[in-house]
Amino acid sequence: MYGGGNSFEAMKATALTDEDPVKLAEFEARIDRGEKIEPSDWMPQLYRKQLIRMIEQHAHSEIIGALPEGTWITRAPGFKRKLALMAKVQDEVGHAQLLYSAAETLGKSREDMIADLINGKSKYSNIFNYPAFTWADSCFISWLVDAGAIVNQIANSKGSYGPYCRALERICAEESFHLKYGHHCVIHLATGTKVQREMMQAAFNRWWVPMMHFFGPSDKISVHSEILMRWKVKMSSNDECRQQFLDMYVPKIWELGLTVPDDKLRKDPETGQWEFTEPDWEEFKRVINGDGPCNKERLAVRRVAEERGAWVRQALLAPKTKYVAPLA
Amino acid sequence: MNTEALKDLLYKIADDQLILGHRNSEWTGFGPLLEEDIAFSSMAQDKVGQSWQIYKLLEELGESEPDMVAFMRNADQFHNCQLVELPNGEYDFSLIRHFLFDMAEQIRFTHLASSSYEPLSLLAKKIKGEIKYHTMHAKIWMKQLGSATEESVSRLQNSLEEAMPYALGIFEPSKFEAELIKEDIFRGEEVIKEEWIEQISAILKETSLKMPDLNSITPVYGGRYGKHTEHLQPLLDEMSEVFKMDPTADW
Amino acid sequence: MNLKSLDPRVTRLGIDESTDTQIIEKGNLDQFETYEAFIETKEGKPFEHAGPVHAPNEEMAFLFAKEQFSRRGMFCNALCVIKTENIKVSEYTDNNEDVYNLVNNRASGVERESFEIFHLAKRGKQHKYAGSVMAKDYEDALAKAKEDFQSDKPVFNVWVVKSEHVLASDEDDRDIWDTLKEKKYRDAIDYKASDKIKAFKEQQA
Repeated sequence: MYGGGNSFEAMKATALTDEDPVKLAEFEARIDRGEKIEPSDWMPQLYRKQLIRMIEQHAHSEIIGALPEGTWITRAPGFKRKLALMAKVQDEVGHAQLLYSAAETLGKSREDMIADLINGKSKYSNIFNYPAFTWADSCFISWLVDAGAIVNQIANSKGSYGPYCRALERICAEESFHLKYGHHCVIHLATGTKVQREMMQAAFNRWWVPMMHFFGPSDKISVHSEILMRWKVKMSSNDECRQQFLDMYVPKIWELGLTVPDDKLRKDPETGQWEFTEPDWEEFKRVINGDGPCNKERLAVRRVAEERGAWVRQALLAPKTKYVAPLA
Repeated sequence: MNTEALKDLLYKIADDQLILGHRNSEWTGFGPLLEEDIAFSSMAQDKVGQSWQIYKLLEELGESEPDMVAFMRNADQFHNCQLVELPNGEYDFSLIRHFLFDMAEQIRFTHLASSSYEPLSLLAKKIKGEIKYHTMHAKIWMKQLGSATEESVSRLQNSLEEAMPYALGIFEPSKFEAELIKEDIFRGEEVIKEEWIEQISAILKETSLKMPDLNSITPVYGGRYGKHTEHLQPLLDEMSEVFKMDPTADW
Repeated sequence: MNLKSLDPRVTRLGIDESTDTQIIEKGNLDQFETYEAFIETKEGKPFEHAGPVHAPNEEMAFLFAKEQFSRRGMFCNALCVIKTENIKVSEYTDNNEDVYNLVNNRASGVERESFEIFHLAKRGKQHKYAGSVMAKDYEDALAKAKEDFQSDKPVFNVWVVKSEHVLASDEDDRDIWDTLKEKKYRDAIDYKASDKIKAFKEQQA
């Protein structure tokens, strides 16, 4: 699960002038032909750096994203929900594994990435810093946070880096289960008893702003993002993803008689664009910089999982073990 | 067919699987490495899924529907052995429990595949592959960690000794042993236990772990008759927290 | 003080809240070997690359790959794992240039050892199993593969592996992918609720 709002590194003016022009031209021609870049191909430093950062953030978002829904894993009501939620949270861990592997092909080891996450040096999707107070919160996440992530991931799966595309193809296939499962849960609550309905509406009230934040602030078109678009690293703007999400899901929310806490939300029939109240971007910044309701807990859990698993990994590590980055 | 005896057998098997599956799912997201996190979660799902199937067999025999049976009973109505309800502890304890329990499970279901109660023998055949993976997983981990570092060996040895009295409780005889054996529904706990001791001893021999002296251990019994540790009721309260908000609602 | 969470599992971890500022040391502590996993999605279809796993050895790589890449059992029939460092990777080509055209030496004809050959038929797609060859060494295997497997369709990259380095699932263990039909809870198809929405709308109207 991952939204937009990637934090890309600012580009230095020299970033491209240092590159071999012949190789750079070949690289760009390959992308223009619609062919994917594979790990051992020559690539500009900036491309490598930005991809590592983006895929790493995506991977962190999956492993941290397992936690808010995991909050309800032992309490899911009934066999069907119990099994499905176990499988869904497991999938998120699986997605992290796939994405870390894709990032590793670019030269950063998984353990380095995990250390950077735990030490707070690396970001993950902001939305997972919010708590899942009730079962209905977990249903909201399964349906709509995953829906938002799919919008983003489908765009990214058409990007230029082979290993990332392969991982995303697998991930998107699995996410279709998440989305259906989540929608199924929300439908049952929304059309259920009064208590269930209220629980679901309360979750919408809590999660709507983080959901709008999920796609990131409006992007300003800069030279920098223009290059990343040309290289097919950045595949769509934050606004495009947000609009697409609203277009696909707001009608589905409304048909269940649920509301979202934004009375300005409407689709302009002329432009076809959704109008909405700008969410509080100061809050977004505050949370992403560590001051959200669950930032500390999320990292503490990852840290403890790492620390308590250390003896297992140490015991298994053969002295002659040689790490080789995955191939594809 | 002695339905009362059959139900007692089905309940204890299903309860074991549900409770252990539930416990093992507590690891999802916190495992010692990503790949193992995924594998352990799959096995937890298999267990819960298997219990669901057995509760369905019970429903056919006139018991309530599976969700009600699983989410609405109190601890004293559960027939699982106490081994499965113990808290997860650290990974060493969870692995040892997985090894001890799943080895027994494989022997149990191998015998059940020839049960005279056909729905059960069919199910036993269907889940053979799942259980095969579970024991494959357990054996490989025992072999590797059980002869790795001083720390891993001593952790596993301690957990083994802690778990063993409870593990022997898996084989607590029910009051229907004779009937079940007579009607060829089940070979009886004694048979399973003998094979189990032989198999786990053989695996432990390949490691630096020592098989505890079973003659000096008093098995922890009671689970099969509804007597449990203080850990089961809180587990059930947690599991049914949402369901019990409205057991008649469609979740 | 132990961290109290909304997640009862987290509360039970007993996390000391004061330790959350220690920096985790980077290092090679956990850096296991990597293995590439390949799955046969259907009987008779070639094995294709599924992705890597980190594992301390081959056996565990197999255990891990089975669940990471084939836990939805119906899409898998067999699995194999190969240690990444044992895979020899040819050059990559693009723009419809067949990588076999860069192989100039001829096969020696010495049939010392068996090798397995995997092809990349399109950049961005998975490597797929092409077949096995007998050869003297890796380079020779590539030359032999050119003789045996080159066709009109260009190949952009080739992986060459010694057959002895492949750990494949046993024929006897095929049942580890058998799943109960109840496993469909993992699939989107099991979540139809349009009736409920329809009934709800009718009730509202």
